[in-house]
Amino acid sequence: MIIDARELNDLTRRATDLMSETADVPRVLRNRLGEQHQLAQAAQEMQGSIESLVQELRCFDISAQPAAADTYDGS
Amino acid sequence: MHIPEADFEDLIRTLSEARSRATELATSISARLGTEHRLAVLANAASLRIESMLREVRSSATQGTDIAGGLAELQGALHIETQPVTPAPVNPSDHIRPGMEAMTAFAAQAGLELEHWLPMFVNDLNSQVRTSGGITFELAERLLQQRKDDFLRDFLIARRMYRTYPHLFPEIQNEQPSSESQPIPQGGAS
Repeated sequence: MIIDARELNDLTRRATDLMSETADVPRVLRNRLGEQHQLAQAAQEMQGSIESLVQELRCFDISAQPAAADTYDGS
Repeated sequence: MHIPEADFEDLIRTLSEARSRATELATSISARLGTEHRLAVLANAASLRIESMLREVRSSATQGTDIAGGLAELQGALHIETQPVTPAPVNPSDHIRPGMEAMTAFAAQAGLELEHWLPMFVNDLNSQVRTSGGITFELAERLLQQRKDDFLRDFLIARRMYRTYPHLFPEIQNEQPSSESQPIPQGGAS
């Protein structure tokens, strides 16, 4: 399966938006409950998980994908 | 240390929306690159983390010590929500889809309004079975949780509207003249 630059940009943008929208969650829980609280730590792990996804998307090398099969049938 | 009700509301709303977005994102990535691809695995992991977080926050909210009259009241609303209401007249349009038709029939049979969460949930289940050819307990639980989140979000919005613009809800004020209790949507707001 192949992904092109436009699709990758769209996915990266959506993931970045997701990261921004959830950025306050760890901060609120940390401020309210303290860094050691289970909820605060879980929120930090959640945010880290999203950040990893964003990082991987940004680093994804489109050119390294296997070449797409030529579907042109000549008609 | 405690979390005020307003913070819980914001957290639940944020996480609920994030979960939907993360699920869509994971689905898009999996569709493009395959479920085994590292990006798909990461996206699914992020989605599961968000869902887990939402569950924990919701659990903390219901057990919280500083939410009197807030989310606890909402739990009551959820229970009231399950009470049957006056059946809505079935008025099928000319172009009702099969799923919609089934949902309408179910709602009428159960004596619920079409907008009640239960017919919508049953419709979700039917749609899932039709599109994927099967369903699991986990998926059913997730769909139910989404319905619950939708209801919670709408309820909180409605309550804020009532608090901010009480003059727009004279019928509710007339029903509860001596109380400042919050309006509880009857039967099927979702």
